[in-house]
Amino acid sequence: MVVDPNFEIDSAAYNALLNRLNEVHSIDKQGDMSDFQIFSDDQWLTDAAVIDFLNYTKGEWAVELVFVCSENFQKFIVRRITSYTCPKKAALASSLMRRIAAKDQRGTIFVNTDGLLISNN
Amino acid sequence: MYNTKDKILNASIRLFNEYGVASVRLQQIADETGISVGNLAYHYKNKEAILSSVYDRIFNEFSEILSKYLQNPSFLDFDVQVSAYFNFFEDYQFYISDLFSKEHAVPEIKLKWQQFMNKMILQINRRIDFYVSQGDLRPEPSKDTYLIVSEAMWMSIVFWIPQQTMRNKPISEKRYKEALWSHLKPYFTQKGNAQFSDVILPILVK
Repeated sequence: MVVDPNFEIDSAAYNALLNRLNEVHSIDKQGDMSDFQIFSDDQWLTDAAVIDFLNYTKGEWAVELVFVCSENFQKFIVRRITSYTCPKKAALASSLMRRIAAKDQRGTIFVNTDGLLISNN
Repeated sequence: MYNTKDKILNASIRLFNEYGVASVRLQQIADETGISVGNLAYHYKNKEAILSSVYDRIFNEFSEILSKYLQNPSFLDFDVQVSAYFNFFEDYQFYISDLFSKEHAVPEIKLKWQQFMNKMILQINRRIDFYVSQGDLRPEPSKDTYLIVSEAMWMSIVFWIPQQTMRNKPISEKRYKEALWSHLKPYFTQKGNAQFSDVILPILVK
């Protein structure tokens, strides 16, 4: 890592930063194998909400399905299925694929993705 | 593989440590590097330019040491940082005489050092707070006790090597670390004591 020697930080801000760093070891806990239950117990095939997602990469719209554990939305798997050069085709295919993959095809299993606090920093 | 610029900087640091910044001449630096003064002048215009490059390197290294803060919650983390401080202050012994000289060649450097030193004290103080919250150190007996302890620890970190040199005593990392830990020892809880003898003592005995 290249450290910029001319970077300056206000002493109050630095103090606050250090205090936050102090808390890291008491608040953040390391995960364990139970976090991977969604893989090991195949939860993503049973009680998962499926969300279709179009991802524009390398000039193509990739169809991705996101399997989200209905009990804990922080557990999810993203699977890339296929890709299309036409966005309309991709949208149609993704909605069909979602309906095929979802356990309840009417889509009553859902997760509130607003519950995720996504920081774009 | 070092390039010439690095070679010049290494030679300058060696000479600065030995003779002090003020009394080193460009000729000496060129001789120590093994190049001609003309070649030296091609890379660095004057001694101030060399000095400012040396300080760039110093500040870089120092920032890196400061960034080694609480990467893990045990005493070992502090020990690693102290080792880095020791190596740093052993490598750049000339800085002290340079900073205490009345007229500094590059005034911004003094300011920069001030900032670094304040950061250092703040960091030690927050680290003590952390150890208190972990139950390794006793809660502060009276207000500002730990601030004073942090300042004393800072003095040990920075001035331990110069004082040994001044008294013509040997410089060893083990003794340096012992001097530092001795500031915290009186405040250890039972848990802190146990951790100290488990984690730090084996290193100090080595």
